[in-house]
Amino acid sequence: MAKVLIPTPLRQYVDKKDVVEASGASVAEVLTGVVTAHPSLKKQIYSDEGKLRSFVNVYVNDEDIRYLDKEKTAVTDADTLSIVPSIAGGR
Amino acid sequence: MVAHAEATYPNECCGVMLGSIDGDSKSVTIATPLENVSAGSQTARYQLRPEDLLHADREARRLKLDLIGIYHSHPDCDAYFSETDLKNSCPWYSFVVLSVQNGKFHHANSWLPNAEQTASEKEELIWPKS
Repeated sequence: MAKVLIPTPLRQYVDKKDVVEASGASVAEVLTGVVTAHPSLKKQIYSDEGKLRSFVNVYVNDEDIRYLDKEKTAVTDADTLSIVPSIAGGR
Repeated sequence: MVAHAEATYPNECCGVMLGSIDGDSKSVTIATPLENVSAGSQTARYQLRPEDLLHADREARRLKLDLIGIYHSHPDCDAYFSETDLKNSCPWYSFVVLSVQNGKFHHANSWLPNAEQTASEKEELIWPKS
């Protein structure tokens, strides 16, 4: 199973774990496995329309899936996924 | 954070706060400056590179700390959480804003966006006793 690193503020939705594991051959399948096992995490990373929220980036190891095959990016059991927000601002 | 904000004036600085969470209380142990990658003038804008946040989260894990928030500065204006800040934030982290007036640190506030990023709650900010 692939590993998914959970950002600190989201650990409350995954039984306080900092990493969870899920099966799947793609990013979409792995993340679906995670939110199926931890339903309260879903609205933190997915919109009501079922898409990743606009500020959510996903990395497979060191690679941003936007520059790979997005949520169809292939995943193996050796891979680690990270959930990283986009953050900007100004006065 | 104060030194970074003053050194970056008149541009906005940004960085991450690593520390620990105990219930509703968050303690900052390390503040790490990150590059402001906002295109164009940075006197009123900041943007973090997601890769830098990824590496900051890994560093936090290595140190057995948590990535608990983001800080940035507001040169020559108050430490409010602007519409731009709110819309481009994420509801997971605390956001400390430092006001720098004429190059000198003036005051700071901490803000927590709600889940929909439609409003932010002001958090009590307690400075370490020196």
